[in-house]
Amino acid sequence: MTKKQQPDFLDAALKRVTAPRPADDAAVDRVLHRLRPPLPRQKVPFWKLPAVLLDWQFAPAWPRMAALACSALLGFYIGIAGLDRSLDQLDQTTVASNTDGGFFVFDPEPLSGARP
Amino acid sequence: MDDSDDASDLALMARVAQGDEAAYRILSRRHVPAMLGLARRILGNAADAEDVAQEAMLRVWTHAPRWQPLAAFRTWLTRIVVNLCLDRKRRAAWVDLDQAGEIADPAPDAGEAVEQNERDGMVQKAIGQLPARQRTAIVLTYGDGMSNAEVAEVMGTTVSAVETLLVRAKQNLRRALGDDAGETD
Repeated sequence: MTKKQQPDFLDAALKRVTAPRPADDAAVDRVLHRLRPPLPRQKVPFWKLPAVLLDWQFAPAWPRMAALACSALLGFYIGIAGLDRSLDQLDQTTVASNTDGGFFVFDPEPLSGARP
Repeated sequence: MDDSDDASDLALMARVAQGDEAAYRILSRRHVPAMLGLARRILGNAADAEDVAQEAMLRVWTHAPRWQPLAAFRTWLTRIVVNLCLDRKRRAAWVDLDQAGEIADPAPDAGEAVEQNERDGMVQKAIGQLPARQRTAIVLTYGDGMSNAEVAEVMGTTVSAVETLLVRAKQNLRRALGDDAGETD
């Protein structure tokens, strides 16, 4: 092979050598078989997350609203009637906090006298 | 919904993005053969080519919701395959297609065919010794008939860089073939 022959030979040979060959059906089948479900989870783009958050319906869920209202009413009644005071007095810490809770933060430490 | 195999890649990708597995199957059947062939020509190894084709199609599935149709689907998929091949080439040694048991194309003139097969074998061997990016540029340009701009898009580089890759690849091939010719003569 002379150097003069090379460029033509090279281009033609490159086209022949790198040309797509008929697909190997067995290999294609193997790959398609491996691609059968279950497939991995798809990645949701970040810019779609706000859309998910904003995609709420303004129609309230009435059973949940009713449950929330009942809970609020019950809490209000317990607070007004003072039903929780007897429970509070069982705990000395809570009794102290009834007068002033600031001592937890501002009072000196009883043994060392260190201030917080 | 269009379940036919004639649906465009774009329409199928829109359905795949919604998690439609039937559309994904159609897309896979359509593109796996070509991607398998491309991977095999770049890697020179049938088993690795299957892994790459599978991995590429799985990426199509997982990244479908994020896919933006800025380029043709085929170009995007080719880019995935090329990147996976280049990644794999950094780790594995090249196996010559001759060693992989490639069957020679039949030709009418037996003597000429033998000579041509011998020359093609030399060229194939020389291609196998090229750096991975040069080989990829050669395969995409000569094998798939892509323009330099298309090759640049697939390889994620510039047109001038592709031209440089091709020039250097051909210089290397001429050198290798000249050396081989010298050895055989």
